[in-house]
Amino acid sequence: MQNTAIQMNNITKSFGSLAANENVNFTVFNGEVHALLGENGAGKSTLMNMLSGIYSPDSGSIFVNGEAVRFSSPKDSIALGIGMIHQHFKLIDVLTAKENIIIGQKGSFFTKGKALSTKIKKLSDEYGLDINPDKKVYDMPVGEKQALEIIKVLYRGANILILDEPTAVLTPQEIKKLFNIIRNMREKGCAIVIITHKLGEVMEISDRITILRRGRSIGTVATKETEVPSLIEMMVGKKVDLSIKKRKSENNEELLVLDEVTVLDGEKKQALKSVSFSLHAGEILGVAGVAKSGQKELCESIAGLVPAEKGRIFFNGENILGKSPGEIIKMGIRMGFIPEDRLGMGLVAGMDIVHNIILKDYQGQKGVFLKRGPCVQKAERIVDSLSILTPSVFTPVKKLSGGNIQKVLLGREIDSDPKVLITAYPVRGLDIGASYKIYDLLGEQKERGAGVLFVGEDLDVLMELCDRVMVLCDGRVTGIVDPDKVTKEDIGLLMTGMSERRRADDQNR
Amino acid sequence: MIKIAKRAELPKNREWAIRAAAVLLSIVFAGTVLAALGFDPIKVFAQIVNGSVGSQMRLNQTILKAIPLTITSMGILVAFKMKFWNIGGEGQIMMGAMGATYAALHLPPDLPSAAMLVLVAAAAVVCGGAWAFIPAYFKARFGTNETIFTLMMNYIAIKWVTYLQYDLWKDPSSFGFPRIAAFPPSAVLPKLFGVHVGWLVAVLSVVLVYIFINHTKKGYEVTVIGESVETARYAGMNIKYIMITTMLVSGGLCGLAGMVQASAIEKTLTYSLSANFGFTAIITTWLGRLSAPAVAVCCFAFAMLIQGGAYLQIALLIPASVAEMIQGIILFFVLGSEFFIQYKVAFDHRAIKGVA
Amino acid sequence: MKKIMLFTLALLVGLSLAACGGDEGSQTGSGEPFDGFIKVGFILIGSKTDGGFSQAHANGIDELEAYFAGLVKTMAVENVDDQNRQDIRSAAENMIDAGCRVIIGCSYGYMETMAELADEYPDVDFLHFSGSMMNDTNFDNFFGAMEEPRYLAGIVAGMMTKSNKIGYVAAYPYTEVQIGINAFALGVQSVNPSAEVNVVYINTWYDPEKEKSAAQALLAQGCDVLEQHCDTAGPIIAAQEAGAYAIGYNLDKPDSAPKAYLTAPVWDHGAYYIDVVKKILDGSFSPESYYGNMASGYVDLAPLSDLVPSEVKAKVDEAKAQIISGELAPFSGEILFADGSVLCEEGQTLTRGDIWDINSVIKGVNATE
Repeated sequence: MQNTAIQMNNITKSFGSLAANENVNFTVFNGEVHALLGENGAGKSTLMNMLSGIYSPDSGSIFVNGEAVRFSSPKDSIALGIGMIHQHFKLIDVLTAKENIIIGQKGSFFTKGKALSTKIKKLSDEYGLDINPDKKVYDMPVGEKQALEIIKVLYRGANILILDEPTAVLTPQEIKKLFNIIRNMREKGCAIVIITHKLGEVMEISDRITILRRGRSIGTVATKETEVPSLIEMMVGKKVDLSIKKRKSENNEELLVLDEVTVLDGEKKQALKSVSFSLHAGEILGVAGVAKSGQKELCESIAGLVPAEKGRIFFNGENILGKSPGEIIKMGIRMGFIPEDRLGMGLVAGMDIVHNIILKDYQGQKGVFLKRGPCVQKAERIVDSLSILTPSVFTPVKKLSGGNIQKVLLGREIDSDPKVLITAYPVRGLDIGASYKIYDLLGEQKERGAGVLFVGEDLDVLMELCDRVMVLCDGRVTGIVDPDKVTKEDIGLLMTGMSERRRADDQNR
Repeated sequence: MIKIAKRAELPKNREWAIRAAAVLLSIVFAGTVLAALGFDPIKVFAQIVNGSVGSQMRLNQTILKAIPLTITSMGILVAFKMKFWNIGGEGQIMMGAMGATYAALHLPPDLPSAAMLVLVAAAAVVCGGAWAFIPAYFKARFGTNETIFTLMMNYIAIKWVTYLQYDLWKDPSSFGFPRIAAFPPSAVLPKLFGVHVGWLVAVLSVVLVYIFINHTKKGYEVTVIGESVETARYAGMNIKYIMITTMLVSGGLCGLAGMVQASAIEKTLTYSLSANFGFTAIITTWLGRLSAPAVAVCCFAFAMLIQGGAYLQIALLIPASVAEMIQGIILFFVLGSEFFIQYKVAFDHRAIKGVA
Repeated sequence: MKKIMLFTLALLVGLSLAACGGDEGSQTGSGEPFDGFIKVGFILIGSKTDGGFSQAHANGIDELEAYFAGLVKTMAVENVDDQNRQDIRSAAENMIDAGCRVIIGCSYGYMETMAELADEYPDVDFLHFSGSMMNDTNFDNFFGAMEEPRYLAGIVAGMMTKSNKIGYVAAYPYTEVQIGINAFALGVQSVNPSAEVNVVYINTWYDPEKEKSAAQALLAQGCDVLEQHCDTAGPIIAAQEAGAYAIGYNLDKPDSAPKAYLTAPVWDHGAYYIDVVKKILDGSFSPESYYGNMASGYVDLAPLSDLVPSEVKAKVDEAKAQIISGELAPFSGEILFADGSVLCEEGQTLTRGDIWDINSVIKGVNATE
């Protein structure tokens, strides 16, 4: 069982002057689950992309099943039984599971439907995957889509699987299911690499862990022989204080009230369905939910970026629905939304920090000319106070690392002392130290008396940071809970759409 | 096996090295072609330079060609900065020239020249802007594709002016020859230092567009919209309003180029007045990377190429077609180099072990 | 032969210097010492090998060079749009910059630009083909009585048609073109009063595609002989493809469509160029608005091709002799415009001035704009 599936020796890969991987060593055995751990930008994706043939290394060697290989395209990698399951599914919605599996396969056009269905059935039974070959992808929940991605890779004969952040889009229940599948694959002798930064999951599923930091491999440890704090220390390079100070605030008037708000998305489907809640001064209201449950529309409707189909939004007693984003900004409502590509909204990638800081201020300036002076000082102040790593305030933000980009965005929004601060995924892609710095900043805002709406991904953080947690499922509020009084699993059930009553019924059974 | 991949950003000096290499290659390639055709390549290239700046008169010719190109490019730049692909410079030039002509022929000809010229230019800016307003409004209101829209508007404008020239505005005193009456002397741009004052208009347009883009709030908004519409929305910008007003500026500048050509060169309106400046300006704007001073330099270089090519016919008795071919080769390489600046191409001959 | 030429030229130069006396060089321009040869620049609307208008000029340029045996240098800028003053000016100024002391512009639309240039460059002589503007010193126009060979072409067409429908591909509804149409129609009517002439205006001098498609439209209407006032061989080729006859223009060029080509009214530009350059060299040039005719040899009808029967040839030869001798003028006797108004009264012969006032077509011509 201990024969090596993958061995990567002294891998170096540079992009321009930046070394993404430097002398990285990485070995995976058959029949093990190997976690590749590291902060964003540590070089995990680069390393795996070399394994799947997307990049080729500048130097170093790769052995698959003991043989030296050189990939010139992903095809070569697939031919050797390596399959990668990406964070973003590469499935075609209008096709069935079966069609998605055979698409792009040689000779697939004439494959007999029945034989294929049998083969798929056999594979899914073997690994405990729950796949109906004739179901269309758009009818599938996220967990099933992921299972389909896995079966797609297995169908192509992969016995070395790489899963990139597989749990990001899943509910706790779905994660459990996924881990069972992974364990089944391990039993069958597959080698599984799982890329993640969620430490709890690493401890639960993996056999061994390799830690990357700033492009270098720091070490490989056996999961049984390690503890979370030492993993963090290896990831970050120093000891980190991981406590969130829950601050108290005296002020608790109602700041923002949403009343039966319904919002349509780009395809005229209801993205928010009669959402009602209120946000108080001096509180952090968390928003939990699997990806695309209406979080974006919620934030945007408050900021005035998308019109609401129905309902009312009150700010300090005044209905702000129908006001322009500019007017809403002037009233003191600020939003920082970090989309998946990080730069899509809120920052202008090609512009420097100063010009990104000006974005919210310039409209207040008099005259036709743009005055940079005060904004340069402001930019320097924000860079200082949030310890943003940048050569200067005149560096285009796209040249900064993800964490620093987010600090620029959040720093700008906080700097204006907003009354309501809406942040979505503010720590997405940030290193652990920076994340905790951001939590602290949000806490400060709350202490100052601002109402903070915090859309998050990590349930542990939501429960620790927030005064209340609102759960969204498919555009509906399925519950607003006090995190001190419920468990993570309770919230997970709400995320899947089970109402509180249903949950109570389940418990009574 | 050839692999093409998008490059991470190149350092500026590498970019310029690639461009220089492209120019060099184009000279080598064009030189080979010339030699094969029996011309002395070194002489030809020397004459292109000599023919474009070698004497005061040639320099003037080059400047004359650079003027409309520069003004139009500035108009295109403003729109492109917003990622509004205004391919309609040609039509906006035409409509600007039409507005200028209407004013020049209908205002009292004994108006003081300065007042006359200001009014004529204003009419051109309004008409060019109005022509650009139409696609801008449709894009803002209905999300139509501006590329196709502005392109098609060119043909409408050219055919419309053709109709004016052949029918509606045809000068009855031209023995039936289809032409529109000439501008009165008060509506003709005077000369300054040997070249009509259009050169001053061109220089001013470069300075003003530079200031507009880099130092005004409106220019800042245009840049933000160009980089990310989402961010602009999020910052509370009124995107539709900005899009429309910016296109008014863009079309207005193109219209002004039309006025300069109508007033200083043609002294009337003809259907061939736009002479592809609207399209050439797209190339120069792109080559200049949307930076006003760089675009101005590109326009001048382009004018040199045109004038130098024209001079070849005279100096070396090279047929027009060969001169145009050389221009084409140089452009091909220079534009092609932009591809290599953004993408890298690797040749991978190494065998792959264990993989068929 | 060459030596004689050189000698002649030297003599001419000597004479011109003598004639100018004290203010030498004021006629030939520049004030710079005359360096033994003169450069003449041509602006052409098409390419030298367009098979028509520009090629006729190009032939004249060759004749000019050959005649002066290297002592006159020529250069030409081809494909200069006559609607684009920037290009016209650029072509002229580039040639002036290259040392030209004579600029010859060969399209009507160059006129205003050349007038401007003549003001700006008093040392350069500007000669404009087909225009009406001139000044007293350095700007002249030249043209010819094309109505004479057009009339003869009309005789050919009138006798060759069977359908009695003759097609005419014309550039613009402009005086020069209308003179040609009317003279042609008069020739047709002199031999075949029942034939009609159908005209299509294509609104350009030079556009091979448009010329050809207009010809095809006329052929489709039933015309079996075509004449043209446009620059390329497009109509002749269209006629051959349709099995009809065609008369060219500008240039005797039977080979492009030997099964259709009958003849063509042609220019001998070389004759004028040589003559005017001589005058410039000897200092006797002054603007005169040159108007050549068949007698002077500037215009003619090209030799009739073998497709033309001998009785037609005889008729043409007879009329030609009468025109050259002055017995016959195309525009004489009673001529009515298509709208019934009078162009020429019984017993009257139109003068050059009268002819150049024509702005419409005569009876028997159907013109669609």
